[in-house]
Amino acid sequence: MRKLVLILALAGVMPVWAHHSFAAEFDDRKPIKVTGTVTKVEWQNPHIWFYVDVKDADGKMTNWAFSGGAPGQLMRRGIRKTSIQPGMTVQVEGFMAKDGSHNASGGRVTFPDGSQVFTAGSEDRLPGQGRGDAKQ
Amino acid sequence: MPRTPEGKPDFSGTYEWPKDPGGVRGRGSATIFDSKKFAPLKPGGEKFTEARNGDPRHDEPRDLCLPAGFPAGFLSANAMQFIQNKDYIVLAHEFMRQMRIVPLDGRPHREGIEPTYYGDPVGHWEGDTLVIVSKNFKRWALDDYHYTDPDQFRYHSDAVTFTERFKWKDAKTIAYDLTVDDPKIFTKPWSQSFEIASKPEWDKDGLWEYVCEENNRCPGGKCAAN
Repeated sequence: MRKLVLILALAGVMPVWAHHSFAAEFDDRKPIKVTGTVTKVEWQNPHIWFYVDVKDADGKMTNWAFSGGAPGQLMRRGIRKTSIQPGMTVQVEGFMAKDGSHNASGGRVTFPDGSQVFTAGSEDRLPGQGRGDAKQ
Repeated sequence: MPRTPEGKPDFSGTYEWPKDPGGVRGRGSATIFDSKKFAPLKPGGEKFTEARNGDPRHDEPRDLCLPAGFPAGFLSANAMQFIQNKDYIVLAHEFMRQMRIVPLDGRPHREGIEPTYYGDPVGHWEGDTLVIVSKNFKRWALDDYHYTDPDQFRYHSDAVTFTERFKWKDAKTIAYDLTVDDPKIFTKPWSQSFEIASKPEWDKDGLWEYVCEENNRCPGGKCAAN
Protein backbone atom coordinates (compact mmCIF):
# COMPACT_ATOMS: atom_id res chain seq x y z
CA MET A 1 0.00 0.00 0.00
CA ARG A 2 2.79 2.34 0.90
CA LYS A 3 4.45 1.73 -2.44
CA LEU A 4 1.18 2.46 -4.15
CA VAL A 5 0.94 5.73 -2.27
CA LEU A 6 4.49 6.53 -3.24
CA ILE A 7 3.83 5.90 -6.90
CA LEU A 8 0.68 7.96 -6.87
CA ALA A 9 2.31 10.75 -4.94
CA LEU A 10 5.19 11.01 -7.36
CA ALA A 11 3.18 10.56 -10.52
CA GLY A 12 3.39 13.64 -12.65
CA VAL A 13 5.40 15.53 -10.04
CA MET A 14 2.06 16.72 -8.88
CA PRO A 15 2.00 20.36 -8.05
CA VAL A 16 0.71 21.31 -4.68
CA TRP A 17 -1.17 24.28 -3.53
CA ALA A 18 -2.28 25.94 -0.37
CA HIS A 19 -5.11 28.27 0.48
CA HIS A 20 -2.48 30.89 1.19
CA SER A 21 0.96 31.66 -0.15
CA PHE A 22 3.91 29.89 1.44
CA ALA A 23 5.43 33.21 2.45
CA ALA A 24 2.44 34.03 4.63
CA GLU A 25 3.42 31.45 7.24
CA PHE A 26 6.75 29.79 6.51
CA ASP A 27 10.34 30.88 6.01
CA ASP A 28 12.19 29.23 3.15
CA ARG A 29 15.49 30.25 4.75
CA LYS A 30 14.74 27.96 7.68
CA PRO A 31 14.59 24.39 6.42
CA ILE A 32 13.95 21.60 8.88
CA LYS A 33 14.63 17.89 8.64
CA VAL A 34 13.75 15.78 11.66
CA THR A 35 12.94 12.18 12.53
CA GLY A 36 10.45 11.14 15.17
CA THR A 37 7.20 9.44 16.04
CA VAL A 38 3.83 10.62 14.80
CA THR A 39 1.65 11.51 17.78
CA LYS A 40 -1.47 12.91 16.12
CA VAL A 41 -2.96 13.58 12.69
CA GLU A 42 -5.57 16.25 12.01
CA TRP A 43 -7.10 15.37 8.65
CA GLN A 44 -8.85 18.69 8.34
CA ASN A 45 -9.07 21.79 6.15
CA PRO A 46 -7.57 24.03 5.05
CA HIS A 47 -4.47 21.81 5.53
CA ILE A 48 -3.81 18.56 7.24
CA TRP A 49 -1.50 18.82 10.26
CA PHE A 50 0.50 15.98 11.70
CA TYR A 51 2.47 16.09 14.92
CA VAL A 52 5.80 14.42 15.51
CA ASP A 53 7.72 13.88 18.76
CA VAL A 54 11.37 14.62 18.05
CA LYS A 55 14.17 13.95 20.54
CA ASP A 56 17.24 16.17 20.34
CA ALA A 57 20.85 15.24 21.14
CA ASP A 58 20.29 16.02 24.82
CA GLY A 59 17.27 13.77 25.00
CA LYS A 60 14.80 16.63 25.18
CA MET A 61 11.55 15.83 23.41
CA THR A 62 9.81 18.45 21.26
CA ASN A 63 6.47 18.01 19.56
CA TRP A 64 6.63 19.54 16.09
CA ALA A 65 3.50 20.28 14.06
CA PHE A 66 3.75 19.92 10.28
CA SER A 67 1.31 21.36 7.77
CA GLY A 68 0.37 19.42 4.65
CA GLY A 69 -2.04 19.85 1.76
CA ALA A 70 -5.81 20.03 1.85
CA PRO A 71 -7.42 16.63 2.48
CA GLY A 72 -9.23 16.68 -0.86
CA GLN A 73 -6.07 17.40 -2.81
CA LEU A 74 -4.12 14.72 -1.00
CA MET A 75 -6.85 12.13 -1.49
CA ARG A 76 -6.81 12.74 -5.25
CA ARG A 77 -3.07 12.11 -5.11
CA GLY A 78 -3.72 8.76 -3.46
CA ILE A 79 -2.72 9.89 0.03
CA ARG A 80 -5.30 8.95 2.64
CA LYS A 81 -5.59 9.52 6.35
CA THR A 82 -4.23 6.03 6.86
CA SER A 83 -1.01 6.94 5.03
CA ILE A 84 0.24 8.77 8.11
CA GLN A 85 -0.86 7.43 11.47
CA PRO A 86 0.12 7.90 15.11
CA GLY A 87 2.94 5.59 16.13
CA MET A 88 4.66 5.66 12.75
CA THR A 89 8.31 6.67 12.62
CA VAL A 90 8.83 9.33 9.99
CA GLN A 91 11.47 11.68 8.74
CA VAL A 92 9.93 15.01 7.78
CA GLU A 93 11.45 17.74 5.64
CA GLY A 94 9.97 21.18 5.37
CA PHE A 95 10.36 24.77 6.45
CA MET A 96 9.84 26.35 9.84
CA ALA A 97 7.06 28.79 10.64
CA LYS A 98 8.02 32.45 10.51
CA ASP A 99 6.86 33.00 14.07
CA GLY A 100 9.58 30.77 15.53
CA SER A 101 7.13 28.28 17.02
CA HIS A 102 7.40 24.51 16.70
CA ASN A 103 5.29 24.56 13.58
CA ALA A 104 6.49 23.94 10.04
CA SER A 105 5.46 23.02 6.55
CA GLY A 106 5.86 19.30 6.03
CA GLY A 107 6.77 18.91 2.40
CA ARG A 108 8.13 15.39 2.34
CA VAL A 109 7.67 12.42 4.63
CA THR A 110 10.04 9.45 4.46
CA PHE A 111 9.19 6.16 6.13
CA PRO A 112 11.78 3.74 7.57
CA ASP A 113 11.57 1.56 4.44
CA GLY A 114 12.64 4.53 2.35
CA SER A 115 9.28 5.21 0.73
CA GLN A 116 8.17 8.79 0.61
CA VAL A 117 5.04 10.85 0.28
CA PHE A 118 4.80 14.47 -0.60
CA THR A 119 2.37 15.94 1.84
CA ALA A 120 3.23 19.48 0.90
CA GLY A 121 0.46 21.96 0.74
CA SER A 122 2.40 25.16 0.43
CA GLU A 123 2.99 26.18 -3.14
CA ASP A 124 5.67 24.19 -4.91
CA ARG A 125 8.16 24.90 -2.14
CA LEU A 126 9.32 21.37 -1.59
CA PRO A 127 12.41 20.48 0.43
CA GLY A 128 15.48 21.57 -1.48
CA GLN A 129 13.67 24.48 -3.07
CA GLY A 130 14.15 26.97 -0.29
CA ARG A 131 16.84 29.58 0.09
CA GLY A 132 18.64 27.40 2.64
CA ASP A 133 19.69 23.77 2.40
CA ALA A 134 18.00 21.32 4.69
CA LYS A 135 20.32 20.17 7.44
CA GLN A 136 19.94 17.12 9.63
CA MET B 1 -20.70 16.49 -27.59
CA PRO B 2 -23.13 15.80 -24.74
CA ARG B 3 -26.37 17.75 -25.05
CA THR B 4 -29.26 18.54 -22.77
CA PRO B 5 -32.84 17.52 -23.64
CA GLU B 6 -33.24 21.10 -24.92
CA GLY B 7 -30.38 20.56 -27.36
CA LYS B 8 -27.86 22.78 -25.60
CA PRO B 9 -24.30 21.60 -24.95
CA ASP B 10 -24.23 19.88 -21.58
CA PHE B 11 -21.30 20.84 -19.37
CA SER B 12 -22.43 18.78 -16.38
CA GLY B 13 -19.50 16.83 -15.01
CA THR B 14 -16.33 16.91 -12.94
CA TYR B 15 -13.27 18.82 -14.05
CA GLU B 16 -9.81 20.10 -13.28
CA TRP B 17 -9.38 23.81 -12.81
CA PRO B 18 -8.71 25.94 -15.95
CA LYS B 19 -5.20 25.70 -17.33
CA ASP B 20 -3.39 27.41 -20.18
CA PRO B 21 -1.18 24.72 -21.77
CA GLY B 22 1.09 27.35 -23.26
CA GLY B 23 0.78 29.86 -20.47
CA VAL B 24 3.11 31.00 -17.76
CA ARG B 25 3.58 29.00 -14.58
CA GLY B 26 3.67 30.72 -11.25
CA ARG B 27 5.19 29.62 -7.98
CA GLY B 28 1.98 28.01 -6.87
CA SER B 29 -0.17 25.49 -8.68
CA ALA B 30 -3.03 27.83 -9.39
CA THR B 31 -3.31 29.13 -12.92
CA ILE B 32 -2.21 32.74 -13.27
CA PHE B 33 -2.73 35.23 -16.03
CA ASP B 34 -0.01 35.79 -18.60
CA SER B 35 1.08 39.42 -18.41
CA LYS B 36 1.75 39.36 -22.15
CA LYS B 37 -2.03 39.17 -22.62
CA PHE B 38 -2.71 42.33 -20.66
CA ALA B 39 -3.93 45.47 -22.38
CA PRO B 40 -1.89 48.63 -21.67
CA LEU B 41 -2.52 50.19 -18.29
CA LYS B 42 -4.61 53.30 -18.32
CA PRO B 43 -2.48 56.37 -17.55
CA GLY B 44 -3.55 57.62 -14.15
CA GLY B 45 -5.82 54.63 -13.74
CA GLU B 46 -6.45 52.70 -10.58
CA LYS B 47 -3.54 50.73 -9.17
CA PHE B 48 -3.30 47.25 -10.69
CA THR B 49 -0.65 45.91 -8.32
CA GLU B 50 0.18 46.59 -4.71
CA ALA B 51 3.22 45.77 -2.57
CA ARG B 52 3.05 44.02 0.76
CA ASN B 53 2.52 46.32 3.73
CA GLY B 54 2.78 43.86 6.62
CA ASP B 55 -0.94 43.67 7.29
CA PRO B 56 -2.13 40.06 6.74
CA ARG B 57 -5.56 41.26 5.70
CA HIS B 58 -3.88 43.13 2.86
CA ASP B 59 -0.98 40.85 2.05
CA GLU B 60 -2.66 37.48 2.25
CA PRO B 61 -6.39 37.68 3.00
CA ARG B 62 -6.94 33.98 2.31
CA ASP B 63 -4.57 33.15 5.16
CA LEU B 64 -7.36 34.53 7.34
CA CYS B 65 -9.93 32.50 5.40
CA LEU B 66 -11.27 35.53 3.58
CA PRO B 67 -12.76 34.63 0.18
CA ALA B 68 -10.68 33.89 -2.89
CA GLY B 69 -13.12 35.70 -5.17
CA PHE B 70 -13.54 35.34 -8.89
CA PRO B 71 -11.51 34.65 -10.99
CA ALA B 72 -8.63 33.86 -8.58
CA GLY B 73 -10.63 31.16 -6.83
CA PHE B 74 -11.85 29.61 -10.07
CA LEU B 75 -8.22 29.29 -11.22
CA SER B 76 -7.09 27.62 -8.01
CA ALA B 77 -5.80 24.07 -8.23
CA ASN B 78 -8.79 22.08 -7.05
CA ALA B 79 -11.55 19.97 -8.56
CA MET B 80 -14.69 21.52 -10.00
CA GLN B 81 -18.15 20.15 -10.66
CA PHE B 82 -20.67 21.70 -13.05
CA ILE B 83 -24.38 20.91 -12.80
CA GLN B 84 -26.65 22.21 -15.53
CA ASN B 85 -30.32 22.30 -16.37
CA LYS B 86 -32.44 24.44 -18.64
CA ASP B 87 -32.51 27.47 -16.39
CA TYR B 88 -29.23 27.33 -14.46
CA ILE B 89 -25.69 26.12 -14.47
CA VAL B 90 -24.02 25.67 -11.10
CA LEU B 91 -20.25 26.01 -11.15
CA ALA B 92 -19.00 24.43 -7.93
CA HIS B 93 -15.33 24.53 -7.04
CA GLU B 94 -13.86 22.58 -4.17
CA PHE B 95 -11.58 25.35 -2.99
CA MET B 96 -13.27 27.12 -0.10
CA ARG B 97 -16.62 25.74 -1.25
CA GLN B 98 -17.06 28.20 -4.10
CA MET B 99 -20.43 27.94 -5.80
CA ARG B 100 -21.63 30.18 -8.55
CA ILE B 101 -25.27 29.70 -9.51
CA VAL B 102 -25.65 31.17 -12.98
CA PRO B 103 -29.14 31.85 -14.37
CA LEU B 104 -29.61 30.96 -18.03
CA ASP B 105 -33.24 32.06 -18.31
CA GLY B 106 -32.61 35.48 -19.79
CA ARG B 107 -32.95 37.55 -16.65
CA PRO B 108 -30.87 40.72 -16.37
CA HIS B 109 -28.17 41.41 -13.81
CA ARG B 110 -29.42 42.36 -10.39
CA GLU B 111 -29.33 46.06 -9.66
CA GLY B 112 -28.56 48.03 -6.54
CA ILE B 113 -26.74 45.30 -4.65
CA GLU B 114 -23.52 45.58 -2.71
CA PRO B 115 -20.31 44.74 -4.58
CA THR B 116 -19.34 41.10 -4.18
CA TYR B 117 -16.29 38.82 -4.19
CA TYR B 118 -17.67 36.50 -6.87
CA GLY B 119 -19.73 38.93 -8.91
CA ASP B 120 -23.25 38.69 -10.26
CA PRO B 121 -23.19 36.19 -13.13
CA VAL B 122 -25.74 35.88 -15.92
CA GLY B 123 -25.44 33.33 -18.71
CA HIS B 124 -26.70 33.06 -22.25
CA TRP B 125 -26.06 30.91 -25.31
CA GLU B 126 -24.30 31.99 -28.47
CA GLY B 127 -24.76 28.90 -30.61
CA ASP B 128 -22.90 26.11 -28.81
CA THR B 129 -20.97 28.54 -26.64
CA LEU B 130 -22.10 29.27 -23.10
CA VAL B 131 -21.35 32.90 -22.30
CA ILE B 132 -21.34 34.08 -18.69
CA VAL B 133 -21.04 37.78 -17.96
CA SER B 134 -20.28 38.78 -14.38
CA LYS B 135 -20.46 42.27 -12.89
CA ASN B 136 -20.77 43.92 -9.50
CA PHE B 137 -17.41 43.03 -7.98
CA LYS B 138 -15.55 44.62 -5.12
CA ARG B 139 -11.86 45.37 -5.66
CA TRP B 140 -10.12 42.09 -4.94
CA ALA B 141 -7.45 39.63 -6.09
CA LEU B 142 -7.27 39.00 -9.82
CA ASP B 143 -5.14 35.89 -9.47
CA ASP B 144 -2.40 34.23 -7.39
CA TYR B 145 0.53 36.08 -8.92
CA HIS B 146 1.59 37.23 -5.44
CA TYR B 147 2.65 33.64 -4.78
CA THR B 148 5.35 34.24 -7.39
CA ASP B 149 6.16 37.82 -6.46
CA PRO B 150 4.86 38.68 -2.99
CA ASP B 151 5.24 42.38 -3.74
CA GLN B 152 3.02 42.27 -6.80
CA PHE B 153 -0.49 41.55 -5.65
CA ARG B 154 -2.72 42.00 -8.70
CA TYR B 155 -6.13 43.53 -8.13
CA HIS B 156 -9.10 44.03 -10.41
CA SER B 157 -11.20 47.10 -9.76
CA ASP B 158 -14.86 47.40 -8.77
CA ALA B 159 -15.68 48.39 -12.36
CA VAL B 160 -14.56 45.10 -13.87
CA THR B 161 -16.72 42.93 -16.08
CA PHE B 162 -15.61 39.34 -16.68
CA THR B 163 -16.91 37.43 -19.68
CA GLU B 164 -16.41 33.68 -19.77
CA ARG B 165 -16.94 31.52 -22.84
CA PHE B 166 -17.30 27.76 -22.52
CA LYS B 167 -17.28 25.54 -25.61
CA TRP B 168 -16.52 21.86 -26.03
CA LYS B 169 -13.19 21.53 -27.85
CA ASP B 170 -13.25 17.74 -27.90
CA ALA B 171 -14.89 14.97 -25.89
CA LYS B 172 -12.68 15.61 -22.85
CA THR B 173 -11.85 19.29 -23.05
CA ILE B 174 -13.76 22.54 -22.69
CA ALA B 175 -12.23 25.58 -24.34
CA TYR B 176 -12.55 28.34 -21.77
CA ASP B 177 -11.91 31.95 -22.70
CA LEU B 178 -11.92 34.69 -20.11
CA THR B 179 -12.15 38.36 -21.04
CA VAL B 180 -11.24 41.06 -18.53
CA ASP B 181 -12.84 44.44 -19.15
CA ASP B 182 -11.62 46.74 -16.40
CA PRO B 183 -11.96 50.33 -17.57
CA LYS B 184 -10.46 51.77 -14.38
CA ILE B 185 -7.19 49.91 -15.02
CA PHE B 186 -6.79 48.91 -18.66
CA THR B 187 -7.20 50.90 -21.87
CA LYS B 188 -9.25 48.11 -23.44
CA PRO B 189 -10.52 44.60 -22.69
CA TRP B 190 -8.12 41.68 -22.94
CA SER B 191 -8.54 37.92 -22.99
CA GLN B 192 -6.76 34.70 -22.26
CA SER B 193 -7.71 31.24 -23.47
CA PHE B 194 -7.65 28.26 -21.13
CA GLU B 195 -8.68 24.64 -21.25
CA ILE B 196 -10.76 22.73 -18.72
CA ALA B 197 -10.09 18.98 -18.68
CA SER B 198 -12.92 16.57 -17.93
CA LYS B 199 -12.17 14.21 -15.03
CA PRO B 200 -14.92 11.57 -15.03
CA GLU B 201 -12.76 9.41 -12.76
CA TRP B 202 -13.35 12.00 -10.03
CA ASP B 203 -17.14 11.59 -10.26
CA LYS B 204 -17.25 8.71 -7.78
CA ASP B 205 -15.86 10.92 -4.99
CA GLY B 206 -17.27 14.22 -6.14
CA LEU B 207 -16.08 17.33 -4.34
CA TRP B 208 -14.75 17.12 -0.82
CA GLU B 209 -15.75 19.52 1.90
CA TYR B 210 -13.38 22.46 2.31
CA VAL B 211 -14.10 24.55 5.36
CA CYS B 212 -11.20 26.94 5.71
CA GLU B 213 -12.08 27.89 9.26
CA GLU B 214 -11.95 24.32 10.51
CA ASN B 215 -8.29 24.11 11.45
CA ASN B 216 -6.49 27.21 10.16
CA ARG B 217 -3.65 26.95 12.67
CA CYS B 218 -1.40 29.81 11.51
CA PRO B 219 -3.67 32.70 10.54
CA GLY B 220 -1.70 35.79 9.72
CA GLY B 221 1.50 33.83 10.26
CA LYS B 222 0.86 33.36 13.98
CA CYS B 223 0.58 29.68 14.73
CA ALA B 224 -1.47 28.08 17.47
CA ALA B 225 0.36 26.24 20.22
CA ASN B 226 0.76 22.51 19.69
